[in-house]
Amino acid sequence: MKIVLNRPRCEGHGLCEEAAPALMHLDDDGELVLHQEEIGDADVPQAQAAVRVCPVAALRLT
Amino acid sequence: MNGPRVNGPRVNGPVRRVVVVGNGVAGLTAADALRDSGYDGELTVVGDERHPAYSRPALSKALLLDGDDLSSHELPPATHGAHELLGVRASGLDLERRLVRLDGGDALPYDRLVIATGSRARRLTGLPDELTLRGLDDALALRARLAGRPSVVVVGGGPLGMEIASGCLAAGCRVTLVSDGVPLSAQLGPYLAGVFVRAALERGLTLLTNGATHVEASAGQARVHLGDGEVVEAELLVSAVGDVPNTEWLAGTGLADGGGVLQVDERGLVRPGVAAAGDLAAFPTPYGRRRVPLWSSAIEQAKVAGAALVRGEQTPPLRFQPYFWTEQFGLSLKAAGELPVAGEPAFVEGGPGGPALMRWSHGDGRGVAVALNHRVPIPKLRRVSQAAA
Repeated sequence: MKIVLNRPRCEGHGLCEEAAPALMHLDDDGELVLHQEEIGDADVPQAQAAVRVCPVAALRLT
Repeated sequence: MNGPRVNGPRVNGPVRRVVVVGNGVAGLTAADALRDSGYDGELTVVGDERHPAYSRPALSKALLLDGDDLSSHELPPATHGAHELLGVRASGLDLERRLVRLDGGDALPYDRLVIATGSRARRLTGLPDELTLRGLDDALALRARLAGRPSVVVVGGGPLGMEIASGCLAAGCRVTLVSDGVPLSAQLGPYLAGVFVRAALERGLTLLTNGATHVEASAGQARVHLGDGEVVEAELLVSAVGDVPNTEWLAGTGLADGGGVLQVDERGLVRPGVAAAGDLAAFPTPYGRRRVPLWSSAIEQAKVAGAALVRGEQTPPLRFQPYFWTEQFGLSLKAAGELPVAGEPAFVEGGPGGPALMRWSHGDGRGVAVALNHRVPIPKLRRVSQAAA
């Protein structure tokens, strides 16, 4: 599966980083950095948790 | 596990049917957590709104402001694979027979239950022309009313009332906000309340802080009577004076306390096999058992509650970490730690009047970090809040 970031929507809360620290983080400017777009099955639950917690739905899993 | 025992209040039997009542972010997250914990049986989600789950915080922020974009509240589609009954209200609960009764007479049997029916706006009157903002339909109705640029009076000086006032001003309306004392001071403390009130006044908000004694509203005409005898008139009345748990459907079960609140344990359980999460639940926090009707609170509660119904005490208990944000009058605030805060902040980055990262310490050493117009990710905000004073 693939994580897709809608950057204009992202407000830099970082709840996603808290849910999936292995998959993403916010840099010093508060911009979200995805460590990888393609994710393996083992990481899907973490990715889903990150997608779910975003209050502005800036992340999607396709 | 012994054989099937679907009658009686036994909670150690096999789990074949889970019902989640409520399709806000708490219900949605609990359903996800059940699946993530390995539950692959029958799952039913009951939601009284016809909409799929959406982001409630967006309703009073982006959705009131975004020109033609009506999508800022939309969440990704649910992946829990539950049978969803939307636009259906639960009308009763039979704990002994383990049945959720629905409007229309149907009943859903369950082995495990999640109660996540949230709360609704507290109202000042029963008048239809007193608008409130709680659900998506409320937000769309308010947006539609603002298009005609009516004069607006907002009653309520909490974060929601202030966000609504900000949205109405941005829509080009003349706006008066009536609060009991300085807006936001009870929620944020005097320093931050001052910052927001100054921004609000600069943008043209009329602020009256003597409180409302009573309100009248009919089509196109609202009157708010103030504590000092003055009367405010406007074309549109919006109130934002708190919320009331939606727990009437639990009448007779003994689950809700006198205030309609469900007191849950550190794993979100209100009874063995019955979890509650979100705005209707009071749960243990580092500062006592509290109801915390906020986005990340609902999600954190629901994650633990959903997992606990499957894994019981193997589920790590909730370690609640408060997170709050608001956007209004051109200011964006993010806060980690327990609000309100007393006194002046220490500036970690920036300074008064500009983008800033601030820190306060409560007397017992716990800290609060606040970012104002400053993109600071939560993990850093948490680290700053926890740093030694």
